[in-house]
Amino acid sequence: MTLRANANLSELIAQTMEMEMERDPRTLLIGEDVGYSGGTFGASRRLFRRFGEWRVRDTPISEMGFTGMAVGLAMSGWRPIVEIMFTDFFGVCLEQIYNAVAKNRYMSGGRVAMPITIRAAGGAIGVAAQHSQTLWGMLAHLPGLKVVAPSNPYDYRGMLAAAIEDDDPVVVIEHKGVYLEKISDFALGTTIPEGRYTVPIGQAAVVRPGGDLTIATLSTMVERSLAAAGILAAEGIEAEIVDLRSVVPLDHETVVASVARTGRLLVVDEDYQSFGLSGELVSRTVEALGPSGVRGLRRLAEPDVPIPAAKSLEDEVIPSVAAIARVARELVA
Amino acid sequence: MTSLLDRYRLMARMRAFEDACAEGIRSGELRGELHLAQGQEGIAAGMVDALRPDDWMVSNHRPHLHAIAKGVPLFPLMAEIYEKAVGLAGGKGGHLHLFDPDHRFSTTGIVGSSLPVALGHAYAARLQETDDVAIGITGDGGTNTGQFHETLNMAAIWSLPLVVLVENNEYAISVPASEVIAPPGIAGRAAAYGAWGRRVNGIDVEAFAAAFDEAVAHARSGAGPALLEATCHRFRGHYEGDPDVYRSPAAHAEMAATGDPILIARARLLERAEADESSLDRILREATIEMADLLESVRAAPAPDPANALTDVFARAEP
Repeated sequence: MTLRANANLSELIAQTMEMEMERDPRTLLIGEDVGYSGGTFGASRRLFRRFGEWRVRDTPISEMGFTGMAVGLAMSGWRPIVEIMFTDFFGVCLEQIYNAVAKNRYMSGGRVAMPITIRAAGGAIGVAAQHSQTLWGMLAHLPGLKVVAPSNPYDYRGMLAAAIEDDDPVVVIEHKGVYLEKISDFALGTTIPEGRYTVPIGQAAVVRPGGDLTIATLSTMVERSLAAAGILAAEGIEAEIVDLRSVVPLDHETVVASVARTGRLLVVDEDYQSFGLSGELVSRTVEALGPSGVRGLRRLAEPDVPIPAAKSLEDEVIPSVAAIARVARELVA
Repeated sequence: MTSLLDRYRLMARMRAFEDACAEGIRSGELRGELHLAQGQEGIAAGMVDALRPDDWMVSNHRPHLHAIAKGVPLFPLMAEIYEKAVGLAGGKGGHLHLFDPDHRFSTTGIVGSSLPVALGHAYAARLQETDDVAIGITGDGGTNTGQFHETLNMAAIWSLPLVVLVENNEYAISVPASEVIAPPGIAGRAAAYGAWGRRVNGIDVEAFAAAFDEAVAHARSGAGPALLEATCHRFRGHYEGDPDVYRSPAAHAEMAATGDPILIARARLLERAEADESSLDRILREATIEMADLLESVRAAPAPDPANALTDVFARAEP
């Protein structure tokens, strides 16, 4: 399967699921508007025609019901991909996610597997408080779920394939801001191999080397951090950028190794600041290096407010390239 | 077909099994909430003919008798309730979270959440093109959750082989069903989904068994879901230790006198001359002895190794 030269990210996601569903006949996709319409962002196009209504199931607006259905399917030996259209709708089905999907392996003493992939679109694109959250910190807080948020096309394919073949539940937070972006327009990971491949879940990547500070981030904030690093480089500040790729497992070792060299850590997170990824990563880094092992620590995350609608307000709360550069400058000064 | 005498024996064993579980609360061996289904044996014992090993059952927070009906072996079952290393889940689930994939049985402790999971098993049966059915069990309280509606709707639109079994024991913890359920009865809601629906007296094991056979046959035939409401009484409080202030001593006396499925079966066996008093007493005694012996062997089993608390979160230990 080759991608069109000007294919966008949603097409790559659809094709990845197509490859995985072809490879493993126990894989199926359920969710709202995944069938006839091919997905709100086109991320399941062609699958309905290809695999039919029993493997690509348009559901009623019943997130709790169909997420629980995935639990029964998994126990019956199937490998469901559940699409929760927007991460914001996790609230509707969180009971099944955190009490069954995440816990059944543990509560059964390892006798029951939950090979469920939950895909959801997160992030802000001007759709305000109930349609703009990423929520990976909340999901990561619940034991038993792996949580990934890729940043580039190569990882989107490889991590989704890894999630689907994983015997544990994996939540994949896709960013709604990049579904319609052309693969060739991304800063990283634009070369997609023809054959199947996976990207292991739980391994961060150093996507830009630098000696002055470490920026640890994920999802679309990787590109923004790279842009900020370009600005900083012109000022003589070299930022090392670590793409975390997954929140659970959190590869803090790669971050710690980087901070051990640079001495400074900035966590950039498109999620609420308090009680989340940024605090966790800072804690682990200090635990590993000791308080004297770090010269500076900063966090740039959403300032614990719901995401506003107006562009000028949204820009204020979502980390921007300028804000990343500004905080990095302050950290290094 | 299982005889009434055999069902009587099964009900006696079920009650004695739960008596043995309750001992753990009195002795302090079991902590937390233990939800007994005493008084509801007519339902569990009425299920055994219709169920096949390949059918799936998803039970709720009052799961012991359902597990027995589904064929879960008693020793690991009681050992799990007693949180032992040799229990179904090595003590990680406890009495609220019983998983036995070998016998296609699972539970959830969250009211109403059993139904979507059973829906998934029913969906799988359709995918696999078998005639297995899934039984999702909830109480009257669970029918007030949105999952009840979502499940029946999806099962109906896709004609899935699902039986939603509602054990209507009249109380959602302390609140009477009549005060929190708008329509009279629950089975009537089946009509809203074009599903098979029936209300049956769950303390009459034979009446229940006949209705359950029919519900399962309907689902197995591919005609879509069945909603079976079985009325019954919960003799004990919501959990062991529930002061049960919402029911009077007179109400308890009335339940014990006229609402006990074991006594009703007993009276019928005597009336039909299918057994005599002494043989029925012997069945009760044998059940008590069997479960006392079982409890003794469970008690002798070791508690889980503390190190195991950190395993089984994921398939493989994290790097």
